[in-house]
Amino acid sequence: MEERLNQLRASAMERLAAATSPEDLRAVDRDFVGKQGSLSELLASVPSLDPKDRPIVGKGANLLKRDILAEIDKRKGELEAAEIDAQRSGSDFDGTLPAAAATRGSLHPLTLVRREVESIFVSMGYEVLDGPEVELDYYNFQALNIPADHPAREMQDTFYCDREGKLVMRTQTSPVQIRAMERLKPPFRVICPGRVFRNEEPDATHEHTFHQVEGLVVGEDITVGHLSGVLKGFLRQLFQKDIEVRLRPGYFPFVEPGFELDVRCPFCTEGCRTCKNTRWIEFCGCGIVHPKVLSAGGIDPESWTGFAFGFGLDRLVMLRYGIDDLRHFMGGDLRFLEQF
Amino acid sequence: MLISYNWLQRHVDLTGIDPEQLGLDLTLSTAEVEGIEPFAAHMAEVTVGFVKSREPHPDADKLGVCTVDIGGDEDLQIVCGAPNVAAGQKVAVATVGARLPGDFKIKKSKIRGVASVGMICSVRELDLGDEHDGIWVLPEDAQVGQPVSEALSGLTDWIIEIDNKSITHRPDLWGHRGIARELAAIYGRELKPLDLSLPQTASAAGVPVGIQDGACSRYIALAIDGVQNGSSPDWMRHLLLAVGQRPIDLLVDLSNFVMLDLGQPNHLFDRKSLDASGIQVRMGRAGEVMQTLDEEERKLGTSDLLICSGDKPVAIAGVMGGAGSKVGNDTSELLLEVAAFDAVTIRRTASRIGLRTDASTRFEKSLDPNMPLQAAGHLVRLLQELQPNIHLPSVPTDAGDWTDPAMTIELRGSRVRRLLGVDLDNDAIAKLLASIDFGVGLNGDNLSVRVPSNRATKDIAIEQDLIEEVGRLYRYDNIPERRLTGEIAPTPFDERQDLVRRMQDRLSGGAAFHEVLSYSFVADSLLAKLGAQAGPYVTLVNPVVDGEVSVRRSLIPGLLGLLEKNRRHHTDVRLFEIGKGYLPENSDERGLPGEVHELALVWTRPEPGKKARFDEALFPQMQAVLDDLCIQLGFGQPCWARPEDGQALDPWFHPGHCLQGHFVARGNPKDSRAPLTIGKLEPGLHKPLGLSQELAGEAILARVSLDGLLESAKPGFRYQAIPRFPGNKVDVALAMPSAVPAGSLVEAIEKAGKGLVKSAELFDHYTGPGIGEGRKSLAYHVLLQSDSKTLTDKDAAKFISRLERLAGELGGELRSE
Ligand SMILES: [Zn+2]
Repeated sequence: MEERLNQLRASAMERLAAATSPEDLRAVDRDFVGKQGSLSELLASVPSLDPKDRPIVGKGANLLKRDILAEIDKRKGELEAAEIDAQRSGSDFDGTLPAAAATRGSLHPLTLVRREVESIFVSMGYEVLDGPEVELDYYNFQALNIPADHPAREMQDTFYCDREGKLVMRTQTSPVQIRAMERLKPPFRVICPGRVFRNEEPDATHEHTFHQVEGLVVGEDITVGHLSGVLKGFLRQLFQKDIEVRLRPGYFPFVEPGFELDVRCPFCTEGCRTCKNTRWIEFCGCGIVHPKVLSAGGIDPESWTGFAFGFGLDRLVMLRYGIDDLRHFMGGDLRFLEQF
Repeated sequence: MLISYNWLQRHVDLTGIDPEQLGLDLTLSTAEVEGIEPFAAHMAEVTVGFVKSREPHPDADKLGVCTVDIGGDEDLQIVCGAPNVAAGQKVAVATVGARLPGDFKIKKSKIRGVASVGMICSVRELDLGDEHDGIWVLPEDAQVGQPVSEALSGLTDWIIEIDNKSITHRPDLWGHRGIARELAAIYGRELKPLDLSLPQTASAAGVPVGIQDGACSRYIALAIDGVQNGSSPDWMRHLLLAVGQRPIDLLVDLSNFVMLDLGQPNHLFDRKSLDASGIQVRMGRAGEVMQTLDEEERKLGTSDLLICSGDKPVAIAGVMGGAGSKVGNDTSELLLEVAAFDAVTIRRTASRIGLRTDASTRFEKSLDPNMPLQAAGHLVRLLQELQPNIHLPSVPTDAGDWTDPAMTIELRGSRVRRLLGVDLDNDAIAKLLASIDFGVGLNGDNLSVRVPSNRATKDIAIEQDLIEEVGRLYRYDNIPERRLTGEIAPTPFDERQDLVRRMQDRLSGGAAFHEVLSYSFVADSLLAKLGAQAGPYVTLVNPVVDGEVSVRRSLIPGLLGLLEKNRRHHTDVRLFEIGKGYLPENSDERGLPGEVHELALVWTRPEPGKKARFDEALFPQMQAVLDDLCIQLGFGQPCWARPEDGQALDPWFHPGHCLQGHFVARGNPKDSRAPLTIGKLEPGLHKPLGLSQELAGEAILARVSLDGLLESAKPGFRYQAIPRFPGNKVDVALAMPSAVPAGSLVEAIEKAGKGLVKSAELFDHYTGPGIGEGRKSLAYHVLLQSDSKTLTDKDAAKFISRLERLAGELGGELRSE
């Protein structure tokens, strides 16, 4: 009988060693340890054995059963580990397959850059304001020291909304300066981004609808030095590098003194197409708020001074993304928009 | 405006200042210089030659064969057709390889069999004038072999281009002397004195001048006799050419020269063509016409100021002279006009007749009324230098009620320092102002500043204007940068801006919508297609595109106009825009139209295939996008309902497939708002909008009023405990009459659950065989769950039997479990 046990052991261990799947292991379990298995049969035959052999066979069979089960557990662990190992292989992996109906939306590039601009100014304590796009002549011109018959009115190619000239499509975001002064108590700092309109034939660099960001700071001792400090700080954040600027005389009826602020071209050191080889890019018009404008806004120009600035957002977006045609912005073409 | 470097040198010594540096300094202190270019650069390639001999061409009578010495080892043989070429002349020779204006390159050639190397040039070929009846004969003293640009001093020059926009407010800068005054101040040099006094005239009475309108505040008329017209001298021609003015003849050139020198336009009439009764300055009359110098017939009107000889118009004041009285070759008696005209009148006339001239551009700037007399003196003196024999037969007439605009402004030194942010003492301030000819008196901290008349017409009027002068002359670059300090109130939370930003993020994210910006103006043709012409609209008086006069009331038309072109490239088009529309009927008392702030969405794609599941339809998907948006924004799930019968809908919404989303009004639970509208595109609009044939498909639109949302209550959100007891999932299928909406069935399910229904998800929607005509089958996964106990099969059975009864009441029945 001992021989029989040895045979069973050898046969079970051989099959376990050769097993390649959990099914193989289950078959060994079934054939040897299970109810109908060889060991069970052997154990069932114990009562019919010679009494002196009974303990030996019984003990041997139980021992073998225990060993087989242990070996099954061990092999099971080995097979699982091999399986995971096999899964680690990258040979059947294609990392270039597309997802089902890969769709995503997009924000307009003007929104993207406008948000950047807003968050920089908000971080510097500015409030973001809004104003009407169809605007009273009073706010767009008169209160900004541009009376009727002022040549600046013609320079701006205004869209008029009535024959009396009382209502216009705002030509600039500057009317929000007056609205801000009417609403807020100095000192304050505000910006106003928004769309503006000029009666111009659209081409690659002109649009009748475009976007500006207006800024206004009113305080007790605001100077030209503050104006350049603020704009330089803003540009440093926007371009993420130290950027040289220069102030030069510029004429806007609602500021006095008035300036143009140029930015050292961030794209070249020797001159390039963007800066028309001048190494400077015109960035914004700005200046110290004209006392008549402060008065129109109900602020005493003797007690308070301020500065204002206005720059084109479209230009900034074009610079940021290398866009060469302004008409894309309002064109509503998904082939353009979905890139952002 | 173009400025010549050489011309500036007549007024200020620029020795040692190179043109580039000059351009930069002008830009930083005065006006924007747009570019600096050498004048007539090609002249460096043209050589002074000496014509040794001219022989007739053997085969052509009109051609000559010239032997020309250009200072080289060998003489050149040049075939030349000019009648005036002769031996002994100094001429301008373009040698082989030289490039002339018009990209014309000189090559070796054979003319009628005779070799010719180079070209003897006319003035026109060198772009130095219009004369082309012969070659240009150079002065005797020109040195053979030198480039012509060096041999003739006036040809080496730089052209400085100044941006006109940067000097609109500076009437004093529209001539060379004004720019020179700035440079003198910048470089601390002297502005050269210039004698502008009028020479002595005979004592006879002057030409009568009558001014009948206030638009002319000064009119100087001066008779000049004994004039001989001809060409102007080379120096003048070259200066005029440098600034882009073609030389015409002495008289025209002289008039232009004075304008470009001092910035004061003037006019020369041939006095023989004028009426002896003198000059009348008056407004035009309706129907009056006149032929201007450019030989155009001009229709005049009552807003145009005219110069008349007797009663006959001979010039449009400040714009252009008349053809009938213009000077010509045989003019010998002149009437010089130098006047002060009203800026607005001139601007209006120039713009009305579409004739912006050098003169009108200057008058528009409000010129100094002192200048006419000075300009008259300048012109006469220049003419006298060239033609000493002229005489002035009568006293000048100086008419008009002009006043001297020069004024005195008090300037506080402290104010200068406070606004500029620099420590400039009063002496330094005074020095800067004096450098541009402002008179300054010091009086404690106050400066009494006398503003000269050429700056006082409109540019400088108040203290702050003077501070600008100080700042720019000190140079803004020298002002140190500073940081803002001080107390600023925390920026208030702006719910509207927050709403916009979160809408943009949500829609462009998971919902995969693309943000567009569309024009505020809507084309009439689009409105007609949409049946939305009635508006009313805010309309443009002067649109840039004909037929685009209406300012949008809603953003949807603009988006609809974008669908066709985008569908050509994309099967699935999802667009949104957040922006403003204007309603004139809601104008406020000042006339400002009502403003609506809205989100508009459009979604179109081809019809789903036959096998598509019921929940692939676009309508419920768009609705889900809006639900998600509202929940995300804190308003909760909108309550959707069909518009009430008879409620006016925008014409682009399908009247039968349209829902409005309602919320309870903020602060007033009894009131409600419906800021959301969603609908299919009106079926009649698919074809007009180009969404037919290969672009046919479903199209869903939605409009969300931001104003309406901001008036809606936010219910607030509280978390719900995670269930402690397991739920019981039950599937039910119900056969219902087609007319019963799915929503009613969900209500029935919830009612049958008596508070135990946690969710009811429609997973099948079927019509067809086995269900019967006019009926549909709806199948739901229902989750029953209690907060207080584990549910049993008994609870489920009770739910089913209640549902069976309720379905029966709706005309349907339970199909199976
Ligand atoms: Zn560059």
